[in-house]
Amino acid sequence: MHSLTHRTIWLNLGSLGALVALLGLTYWLHTGPRAVPGLIEQLKDEDATARILAAQWLAKLGPDAKSAVPALVDLALNDPDQDTSAAAATAIHTLDLQASREVVAGYLPALWEADPEVRRKACVVLGSLGPVAKPAVAPLITMLDDTDELVRERAVGALGTIGIPQTEIVAALTKAMRDPASVVRYRAVAQFAFHIPVTATSLPTLMELRNDQDKSVASLAEVALEHAGQTDRQDLSNLIALLERPGEKDYALQQLAQLGPEAADAAPVLIPVLKDSLALNRYLAAEALRAIGPAAEAAVPDLIAALHDPDPIVIESAAEALEAIGTPEALKAIEPMRKENAS
Amino acid sequence: MTDEPSSSRPAGIILALYWGSLLLSLTLPWGLLTLFEISAHRRTAGEAFRYLTLHFFAPGYNYFLVGALSAAPFVVCAVFLLFHLGWNDRLEPAQRSRRMAGVLGSLILMTGVTFWTHLSALMYPDAQGALVYFFLPYVLLVVIPLGYGVGRLILAFMTMIRRNDGEPA
Repeated sequence: MHSLTHRTIWLNLGSLGALVALLGLTYWLHTGPRAVPGLIEQLKDEDATARILAAQWLAKLGPDAKSAVPALVDLALNDPDQDTSAAAATAIHTLDLQASREVVAGYLPALWEADPEVRRKACVVLGSLGPVAKPAVAPLITMLDDTDELVRERAVGALGTIGIPQTEIVAALTKAMRDPASVVRYRAVAQFAFHIPVTATSLPTLMELRNDQDKSVASLAEVALEHAGQTDRQDLSNLIALLERPGEKDYALQQLAQLGPEAADAAPVLIPVLKDSLALNRYLAAEALRAIGPAAEAAVPDLIAALHDPDPIVIESAAEALEAIGTPEALKAIEPMRKENAS
Repeated sequence: MTDEPSSSRPAGIILALYWGSLLLSLTLPWGLLTLFEISAHRRTAGEAFRYLTLHFFAPGYNYFLVGALSAAPFVVCAVFLLFHLGWNDRLEPAQRSRRMAGVLGSLILMTGVTFWTHLSALMYPDAQGALVYFFLPYVLLVVIPLGYGVGRLILAFMTMIRRNDGEPA
């Protein structure tokens, strides 16, 4: 062919349009909820990287990926690879609170297995579930006395990611900062440097650690102390602003829950989150209100309404929040639940 | 508008440039990534290809979109070259050469900028690195007229040198 007719030009232009449409269709078919069946298949791939990637992707899809929860639970509980199980657990905690608690229940017995490798994996997976793994906090605290230093180090990491209830976590991490193994001390100080707010309980130990024999621990303690010097009010207003950003909401809620009564000014903005479409956010809002305690009195009517939430984990958390607030109205609302539990 | 073919127009070259630039621009980032995985991360060709396909649509990677974004300005350039070189069948040979030089200038400069950008993003990854993929199409749109001008200037320069060489001393 040595020449171009106008018809040829239009034909090539049309072909380009078809190519663009084909590329668009390919993209549409492989993204959003349409990707879920393929990703569930990918969770069974023999390559661990592929399984991890599928789990991370499903977590990003949010409620659209709800149908993947059984496959993710199976992966979290039974995959031989620690990172894959952890990725699956991370995905589950954003998708289904009850399934997260199933994983917690599945891993708690593993904390007392003879093989340290199994105990390490259990700590990592429990930590990956984030604040939803709150029932695992007490057993994880006992792991700080484990004979294996890597188990202790992973337990510290898990406690830091779970983050609530704040008082217990801070006490445990403060204890871990005095661990004989520097790897454990480093991990514990890192929690205060980057995740957990420094409180009066942890302050003296952090100051001592500035002279730690391990230089990396000492310099990280300096970082944590610098963070402790920042104004809390500024932190609080930043966290409240983060609540407006969809991608940062759960992070901000967890941080508010970790601030405890100091987050009292955030109570009015936490109340609407109790009606959020995502169960994780409703759970974290109830947890933050529980941590604020009596100062969150204004949230009582909405917390009572949350006792009828479709998610039992949110109900449990709302009841705990009402108990922590402790007004007569709040206590009266949880009375039937208390009686039911007692019987 | 006429449908009469003109045997003087290099249709094969025009279509090769048209489809070649489109396919090259679309596959250049994917090819570079595959080669980078082989050389920098010591993967086999099969592993590198698998890495590419696994991350093709994955959030946070989306190499498919990276390729598509990178190809978008080339689509503009390809449509331009199709009409600029192929529509008028009564172009003088000199005029056709000038247009061809301009289009080649655009395509070569665009390919160079794309190659360099993707390679830099792979070699020096950082948190804001992905932003380059969003800015690249705009940069390439600016490069189209710039490259066109450069291409024509080079041709004019070469013609001038040739003419000077041909003149008796």
